[in-house]
Amino acid sequence: MSDLLTFDNITLKSRLLIGTGKFSSIETMINSIKASETELVTVALKRFNKAKTEDDLYGPLLELKNVTLMPNTSGAMNAKEAIRAALLGRELSKSRFVKLEIHPNPHHLLPDPLETYEAAVELVKQDFLVLPYIPADPVLAKRLEDVGCAAVMPLGAPIGSGRGLATKDMIQIIIKESKVPVIVDAGIRSPSEAAESMELGCEAVLINSAIAAAEYPIKMAEAFQRAVKAGRIAFEAGLMSSTNSAIASSPLTSFLSSYD
Amino acid sequence: MIKPLPNWLDPNPWMHLSKSTDLSAIESAIYSKNPTIRELALLISPSAHNFLEPMAQRAKHITQRNFGKTISLYSPLYLSNYCNGGCAYCGIAGDRRADRLVLDDNQLIKELSEISKLGIDEIVLLTGERMPEADVDYLEHAIQITSKKISSVNIEVFPMLEKEYQVLANVGCTGVTLYQETYDQVIYEKMHRWGDKRDFFNRLYAPNRALQGGLRTVGLGALLGLSNPRFDMLCLFNHANYLLKNFWQAGVTISFPRIKPQLGEFRAKYPVDERMLAQFIFALRICLPTVPLLLSTRETETIRDGLAGLGISKMSVASKTTVGGYSSSIEQSTEQFEISDNRDVSSFCNALRNKNLEPIFKNYDAMYRGPISYDKNFKCSSV
Repeated sequence: MSDLLTFDNITLKSRLLIGTGKFSSIETMINSIKASETELVTVALKRFNKAKTEDDLYGPLLELKNVTLMPNTSGAMNAKEAIRAALLGRELSKSRFVKLEIHPNPHHLLPDPLETYEAAVELVKQDFLVLPYIPADPVLAKRLEDVGCAAVMPLGAPIGSGRGLATKDMIQIIIKESKVPVIVDAGIRSPSEAAESMELGCEAVLINSAIAAAEYPIKMAEAFQRAVKAGRIAFEAGLMSSTNSAIASSPLTSFLSSYD
Repeated sequence: MIKPLPNWLDPNPWMHLSKSTDLSAIESAIYSKNPTIRELALLISPSAHNFLEPMAQRAKHITQRNFGKTISLYSPLYLSNYCNGGCAYCGIAGDRRADRLVLDDNQLIKELSEISKLGIDEIVLLTGERMPEADVDYLEHAIQITSKKISSVNIEVFPMLEKEYQVLANVGCTGVTLYQETYDQVIYEKMHRWGDKRDFFNRLYAPNRALQGGLRTVGLGALLGLSNPRFDMLCLFNHANYLLKNFWQAGVTISFPRIKPQLGEFRAKYPVDERMLAQFIFALRICLPTVPLLLSTRETETIRDGLAGLGISKMSVASKTTVGGYSSSIEQSTEQFEISDNRDVSSFCNALRNKNLEPIFKNYDAMYRGPISYDKNFKCSSV
């Protein structure tokens, strides 16, 4: 089994994707990215600042070797705004990747399935590798796969909530049915939850707050790097089955033995 | 005549808890998973004072989760201080002897270029009450000019009609700040001695009209010191939740303007000291975890540095509260209120960085503009 995450002709060795918001400094962000060994990093278009370079996230990120940028459309409230943001993001990053996120409610930041679908259709037409951030809805995931998204990114829990894999049951359905990579995006707090996502069969996880808001972000980035690797290896190794109950001493099917 | 507060706003059913002495109830409110107005009432009670440290700890964690280790920066820009308002507490009220100024195009451009030099990319444009010198047409024009230079353009002006807000949304205005000043109608009436502002409900429902008109964010606040601050805090909570429920795409923020007991001629009848201010900020952070809380340069260095990241996620910097204040070449007006934190951008940013907080200058993009629409048949402005 080749253990590479593939999008079109792009292959990635790391299955950990990193978000760049919320860090206490650009230096900490860059060092966390390095410690995570990620090769795909998402960055909000709104954090591109041409006028003040020390406030700009694109400059330092573009200097990183072995890292591809995936501009995101955070801040867009509808498909139209997201499409515009994606186009500008591609111009700045020279990357085909776009993390499509449309969350019209700025308080819970939950994704709008209707606008996301509409924008995905258009962005795929425009040759983007579209990775949409979506509610953990198996039907929506298939609809987005059908229109050509490169992956689907269901949320484990609301952004920044740190509530882990609250949507685990739905994510398992999505994994079972999906032909494109499933990436858990949002909600994960601890490396063990990232490992669990990988054990379930996710192709990758996207982490931001859990690293940025940790007491020591760079160390936490390394912890996630190892957890994601461990979880992936565990998935490939095949978990042993588990059971909650012992086998009854008088089997219920003993009546069938006379038919042997 | 005083009309009763609408049910969605009335905090009276919960006011008794803001006097609670039940320490175990207060302590468990700090860690509540789904805090409601009940928890807020407990957390703003005088007895909750004993829990300031755990409240601060909790507020810090919630702030970090939702806003990161960052502080978004903005600056106010006074367009005009012409005002016929009768606000008893204001330095530029109609009856004050004040040097009056309104910026013309060239002066505005000059001010903007000074602000841009500071790196600031979010601005609040301010005026006094509705005046011929600075009316909606003037604002529309000023927003057009400002939005060419600045990504996030907001207004803190007089209440308007829905169609007026719509005009401003169309030219790039994204948000409005409109403090109710106080939700206590008796005191409201005393404080606003004459003019349009005396209409409590016209002001109360202006955020509805702004959002219905297509603006994206509304900033709420009560001027601390005017009336029982616990009553006003509970009203703010209700007001924010009401807007979030009725305008699902709206961003709601809350500010904490405070009449400082020691400054100016106007004496606060209900002074709010620094510890109380901190307590209210922690309490609102715990009970409204996703609402950005703002703190301006009215407060001192010590308070601002202390509260940054402990609930507060957005702060003004290098503010001038005079018309023409940023460009020294323009003659300056009387200031609206006294600034207590006079640090320049770099020394304020250094202080934030020393607290392991990253100042963010640009946290918005000009492409996210234009009106947001809600159901046009929906009316939630009736009392």
